[in-house]
Amino acid sequence: MSKRKWHHPEVPAEERGTKVWRSAGELEDTPGLRQWVDREFPRAAEVMRDEDDRENTRRDFLKLMGASTALAGLGLASCRRPESLIVPFLDSVEWTIPGKPTYYATSMPSATGAIPLVAANYEGRPTKLEPNKQNPSANGVSSMTQASILGLYDPARSRYFLENGKSIGRGDAVKKLGEYTKSGNFGIVFGEDDSLTRTDLIAKIKAKHAGAKFYAYEALAGAGKKASDAGIFGKHAVVKADFAKAGKILSLDCDFLELDNQGNTKAFFDRRRPEGAGYNEDPVAYEKQLNRLYCVEPTYSVTGGMADHRAPLAPSQIGKFISLLASYAGVGTAPATSFSDTKTKWAKACYEDLKAGGGVVLLGSRYAKELHDVVYKINEALGAYSAGVLTARKGKQHADLGTMEDFANDAGSLETVILMTAANPVYENPILGSGDQTFTDFVADKKLIHWGDQTNATANAASLHIPAAHYLESWGDGFSGNEGVYTVVQPMILPLYGGIQELELLVALTQDKVDLHDSSDANAVSPAYDAVKGVFEAQVKPGGSAAAKLDNWNTLLRTGFNAEFKYEAASAGAAPSSTIKEEVEPTDASKPDIVFATDYSVLDGRYVNNAWLQEAPDPISKLTWDNAVYMSPKTAKDLGLYEDIVELEKEEKAWWANLGIATDVGVKTTPVSEDGEGPSLFGPMVNVKVGDQSLEAVVIVAFGMADNVVSLPLGYGQGYDKHWKENFIGNDPDYDINTANVSSVGVNAGFNGYALRGGSDYYAGGISIEKVADRRYKLARTQEHHSMYGRALAREISTMPTEPDGHDHQKDYKEQLATVRKHGMDSHAPQNVDQYKPVGNAKDKDGNKIDREHLWDKSHQWAMSIDLSTCTGCSACLVACQAENNIPVVGKVQVAMGREMHWIRMDRYFAEYQDHGHSEGEHKATNPSEDWDKPLEMIPNPVACVQCESAPCETVCPVNATVHTEDGLNTMAYNRCIGTRYCANNCPYKARRFNFFDYNKRNPLLHKNLYKGPFGEKQEGDAKSLQRNPNVSVRMRGVMEKCTYCVQRLQSAKIDAKLSVKRGVQKSGKPSTEFKVDHEMLMSPANSVTVACQDACSAGAIMFGNLLNKKDDIQKTKALRDEDQDLPAHVQGEFKNPRTYDLLNYIGTRPRTSYMARVKNPNPAMEGATNVGRATINMH
Amino acid sequence: MANYFPRWTNLVPLKIAVCIGALAIGVVTAFTYYATPKAQRVGYMPDQPIPYDHELHVTQLGLDCRHCHSFVEKSGHANVPTANTCANCHVKGGIKSDSERLAPLFDAIESGKPIKWVRVHKAPDYVFFNHSAHLGRGISCIECHGQVDEMRVVYHAKNLSMGMCIECHRNPEDALRPLEEVFNLKYSAADYLKKNQSAADQVTAYMSANNLDLELDDKGDAQKAMGLMLKDHWNVQPKESCFTCHR
Repeated sequence: MSKRKWHHPEVPAEERGTKVWRSAGELEDTPGLRQWVDREFPRAAEVMRDEDDRENTRRDFLKLMGASTALAGLGLASCRRPESLIVPFLDSVEWTIPGKPTYYATSMPSATGAIPLVAANYEGRPTKLEPNKQNPSANGVSSMTQASILGLYDPARSRYFLENGKSIGRGDAVKKLGEYTKSGNFGIVFGEDDSLTRTDLIAKIKAKHAGAKFYAYEALAGAGKKASDAGIFGKHAVVKADFAKAGKILSLDCDFLELDNQGNTKAFFDRRRPEGAGYNEDPVAYEKQLNRLYCVEPTYSVTGGMADHRAPLAPSQIGKFISLLASYAGVGTAPATSFSDTKTKWAKACYEDLKAGGGVVLLGSRYAKELHDVVYKINEALGAYSAGVLTARKGKQHADLGTMEDFANDAGSLETVILMTAANPVYENPILGSGDQTFTDFVADKKLIHWGDQTNATANAASLHIPAAHYLESWGDGFSGNEGVYTVVQPMILPLYGGIQELELLVALTQDKVDLHDSSDANAVSPAYDAVKGVFEAQVKPGGSAAAKLDNWNTLLRTGFNAEFKYEAASAGAAPSSTIKEEVEPTDASKPDIVFATDYSVLDGRYVNNAWLQEAPDPISKLTWDNAVYMSPKTAKDLGLYEDIVELEKEEKAWWANLGIATDVGVKTTPVSEDGEGPSLFGPMVNVKVGDQSLEAVVIVAFGMADNVVSLPLGYGQGYDKHWKENFIGNDPDYDINTANVSSVGVNAGFNGYALRGGSDYYAGGISIEKVADRRYKLARTQEHHSMYGRALAREISTMPTEPDGHDHQKDYKEQLATVRKHGMDSHAPQNVDQYKPVGNAKDKDGNKIDREHLWDKSHQWAMSIDLSTCTGCSACLVACQAENNIPVVGKVQVAMGREMHWIRMDRYFAEYQDHGHSEGEHKATNPSEDWDKPLEMIPNPVACVQCESAPCETVCPVNATVHTEDGLNTMAYNRCIGTRYCANNCPYKARRFNFFDYNKRNPLLHKNLYKGPFGEKQEGDAKSLQRNPNVSVRMRGVMEKCTYCVQRLQSAKIDAKLSVKRGVQKSGKPSTEFKVDHEMLMSPANSVTVACQDACSAGAIMFGNLLNKKDDIQKTKALRDEDQDLPAHVQGEFKNPRTYDLLNYIGTRPRTSYMARVKNPNPAMEGATNVGRATINMH
Repeated sequence: MANYFPRWTNLVPLKIAVCIGALAIGVVTAFTYYATPKAQRVGYMPDQPIPYDHELHVTQLGLDCRHCHSFVEKSGHANVPTANTCANCHVKGGIKSDSERLAPLFDAIESGKPIKWVRVHKAPDYVFFNHSAHLGRGISCIECHGQVDEMRVVYHAKNLSMGMCIECHRNPEDALRPLEEVFNLKYSAADYLKKNQSAADQVTAYMSANNLDLELDDKGDAQKAMGLMLKDHWNVQPKESCFTCHR
């Protein structure tokens, strides 16, 4: 019997319109890709190839059956229930109710301001971080913040004092600390975060040791912007943008939506919706609301993906572009060499639009000071400062922290250097000062003390390493958000591994006899607590009686912040007269510019041991567990690499072939071998040379990049073990085995770009790059996994009218809005009439039909809507879901096989407008970056289970393990699932994930560990299991799982609603028998139920609610389908918002999650503006 | 043709059938007896570190369940009391403080190591039972735990099988009672209705509206009438889909 194959809709050749794709393989439409997407869980070894194979498998099966029957006989001997214990607390713990989470406010210190958080604690262990919604600067929780809770429990966290990498006792360490700091000539290097208590302690240390000096360093925090802001507004001033006032934004390589924070982005996203912040306005009247984003950048960022107009430009040319804008603004001279006509026109139209009002230019923080100075003048000329779009603020008190340049100057007078920065300066090893001396050269003859929570390169190199407490184990304070509001950092748990808090170490340095606080005595109060409380009482809320003081302090701990104490406005000094040096434009692919990018997973390398972040696919490239050199298709072609990547891969073996984990490693059975993006994804290697440094790294073709530019994210390649060479085919690479600096998570991950960086902060020009002929590297990318390609999935419209032509008449914005639901197949295919009868077949004991229909709950019908207008694809939802739902990490090999377990799949499409007259081959994937009028767009589309009302998965489950609930969920009874995987095969959204191994029980990150069966190393009960959410089952091997709308939160909300009815009864004083309860009383209050992804989303793109609650916000975007209507009549659904549509509506699954089309707001004066936002509008 | 099969083989098929039949009956009986929750759990009565007597504390002294299981109305989990709850009365020099049976309590307080009680009622890991939800809708402790107020040593009184859960979710009227009576382990609907005229009126009105012919003096009938009335008035609709307990 042969499998019936679905044939993907064909796009007729020569048709005008926009092409949408996810990967190079899809763009080129290779046969290998088609096979890859045909399977739910692609895996070569599952394909039986011939009769021999079949016979072997059958015999193996019988053998196993025999053995297991024999074992079953032995196993029966003990089936008595094991004795289990209940161990209550000795003394009742304040606020703790066993089984209920306790929430505490805290915040996470970061270089861009403290991140206000609320941590959920179960019986004293923090399990999940949520935004502190009371704090005005709270705005979702980014993936890195979310994943920091895994860092708390990381079993590989530093737990011993080290001397030159060797463990020493606590007593010795404290003695050494005293010895090294005795002279007082020490320099302390902090991170870039700001803390009031730390400032206070610095003053105390200074008073004691006149020779002590203080600096701030983080590898990628943006020294240029900091220096420029300090020059104009005074030291420690921070310029932040108020996006509520910014109507037109030009981002010059500034990823302000994700990695390069320039102010709270909530208002930005509110202005991305044509209906306004609360979906209250008419979307047709978008003008007063919708903002416009221009973006000029060398490589795609998530901010670039949101842009209405985006132009690729080499980083060395950004300065020249700024000069051009400065000349328009009348604050500078035009660059000596001019841009091409298209680019000049683009810049002119963009500037005119910014000038028209509400305009602001944001430049990437890591560009040089001079560029920032000129941008300041442009912003002045645009009126951004006078209109309040940009504001500079600084703290009342601040420690006079020096820069690393100051450090280089002072280095001679320092005897000891104490590193308290979150960065890893020995690994990053920047060139400091004017010469070519690196950080390690400066500290070579000094005592180096390192305080940190990782045993990284710096810890191992230090004369003394002190294990640090995590921020969730520490007292501290910081300043959050645009206004710099005082926020507190309070510990959730005593240090798990005996770490020392930052403030404890500083307090120790103020003492005559240095001594560190010992947290093993649980009753001893940390000096950090006294320090923070003391500073709060003296500076933040001074005065008052003892009772008032205690009250203020308790209020601070409860709310987490004090809004009255915040940064003050800083006024501008004299405008600096900086000039921008024009740089040579790269024109040769072998001598490109290189961008040293900040990574979306590991930031500057500090999260390299965080498995959630490593496995979360990069928002742009969808690469996991590695970094790579990215380049545009044209650059790759010029270097002779594109054919290697896109054209058919010559290997016929899957890349797990020589790992010895599977006997059958052939890729597919057809004569056509796999393409470069499938299971045999081997990337070609290049050798990148910058100055006298060189690095070999793997190449990925990235769309939307400027030509002759390569980009290399930093922070990887911190340590390799003997298995590293198994990642390569061809000749073995030359490398040193060194695993001391990384844990089993970060080992063998990527390539170290810091080696190339030298003295440049962000980019370097005129480097050389060449192909390495005899070696290729294995990559795990998720972009083609679970693909639903070729359909109108992520829909787009634009405020510009469409271009009329033979097929279609001109459609203005209003008409585009009205026809969102008619894109793609929905434009002509009649919806399937499903056979799923709404009437249930439950019967009571006497055989009478129970009057309970399908979806009979009259109090709750859950639904979700996802707004693509604001979704950036940043993947914070994906990590939040992982934290909430106990989703395991599977490791690089398993990801490559398509077995990642993330319940949310962040699809990312590229779309490019194609003209008439271009033949297929000519225009394919060339998208020369010169063509600024032919934009290449990026559209993210998060897909999780959409909770179909008539779910195809349910009808095929042989054991009824996936069933529908009365309130509209499609649920999984994990304990009932036998793992047939029929449901996954029948799911049109490919939203189901299967546990091929005991990922939770056995550590998937150890080499081949999953394949060792019972002999593999177990990870049950290690520290990571303390993070588990006790309200969610931890799934085992052979079980299918998927999104269930955080059913644990829904259940507890429903119970809360019932209990509030009970409290009402008790309050009334009447006997309960006289009470009547209706459906509405059992409803949870409007908007009270949130799901994990929704809480994490900084864009507010995810709305969740109850369709039966008329006050719920979900009502503005989605309404309940009318059950009584006959089916085809309500095919379109009764959506209240015209932008709302269903994924794959025509197949009639009636999903509960719907999407809202993205609205682009291009500038009509721009060339090619009519072609913006056309990804799906012409799809049939 | 030779007679291959001797005469006695005529009975072989019958013998085999009898044997298989007996074996099947044996397996079913043995499974029911040894392997079902009813057999495995009911009667489980482990020794506790302190032989706490529910009968003494509840029936004789009149303590409420919530005195010790203090969060049972707030949380899904019914907590076991902390040592300092016991020590409210059994403080050193206080009630029975010289009793040897209380020694583990004082040891725990002195050493700082909590008492390890042995778990009697245990739902599997994949069952998410919520105490507060049931108590809040008029289901009493005794429906699952039996007459704990009469137990000198706590034992597993009911089988707590999934069948038991579903039975009650299908027919909640057999268990529903007024919210005030949830912790009254001696409650009977018939007695309650005799004492509470307003409740009796409500039940009577409900019965006549729904054409129910039930005798309020009869214990079973009174419970059923009361349960049906409460189910209707309180909008009690216990869910039977899997995610009610499994997720």
